[in-house]
Amino acid sequence: MIRKALGHVISCKDAARLVSHREDAALSFWQRLTLRLHLSVCAACTRFERQLRFLRTAMRKYGE
Amino acid sequence: MDYDAEPFATARAMPAADFSRDLDQHRGYLLRVARLQLRDEALAEDVVQETLLAALSGSGFSGKSSLRTWLTGILKHKIVDAIRRKQREPTVASAFGDIDSELDIEDFDGLFRENGAWETKPADWGNPDAALSRRQFFDVMDLCLEKLPANTARVFVMREVMELETDEICKELTITANNLWVILYRARMSLRECLEQNWFADEGAAT
Repeated sequence: MIRKALGHVISCKDAARLVSHREDAALSFWQRLTLRLHLSVCAACTRFERQLRFLRTAMRKYGE
Repeated sequence: MDYDAEPFATARAMPAADFSRDLDQHRGYLLRVARLQLRDEALAEDVVQETLLAALSGSGFSGKSSLRTWLTGILKHKIVDAIRRKQREPTVASAFGDIDSELDIEDFDGLFRENGAWETKPADWGNPDAALSRRQFFDVMDLCLEKLPANTARVFVMREVMELETDEICKELTITANNLWVILYRARMSLRECLEQNWFADEGAAT
């Protein structure tokens, strides 16, 4: 219950921005924590996170 | 720049005709990357020619990395030079200067509801890695990249294909780190959606 509530400290929109931001810069402690909590309860954002990781792999491959 | 550290190393290692044929095989790819970066057909041609010439004449190709990776390294420098030259020309400054219109992160609010939840949740892509061995996938990727606004595509390719560090990109294009992050976010959101609609949706239907 508490975990679920903490997971919604940030919204999916915030989480999506953080997932992208993390590819380019180090997140703050608070950003990492809230993102991690959000991902632990949100299947959609977890999927989004995997897709961005795939996008990165695909772009590297595109450049090889 | 390490690619001209050891002149003529490649010419010694490999008959020139073979080497130039190998180079030619990568021409199409180099042109694609250059076009995405420069959005200028003639300039892209120039930059690729300069790259191939540099590869033929100088070259410290050691065989440690793939030929394509090595060529990408040369191309990176040539593109950065071309962008610098272009930025100095006042007449075409607008082609690179009009980045503000690509900076509105709120454009993508349509992807989320008012409470910040996904409007349409990301779809299941199954096992996306299988796509990496399909040529058609990269054709779709090309189309998706071409649909991006010019500066957005340029920045994204610099970051993800040429693997420049964010501070390098900021310096070359004279944009702030914050602007860079917004542009990269927009690029990723657009590409994700484009790939989902044009590749993974069809794939899902097929299986």
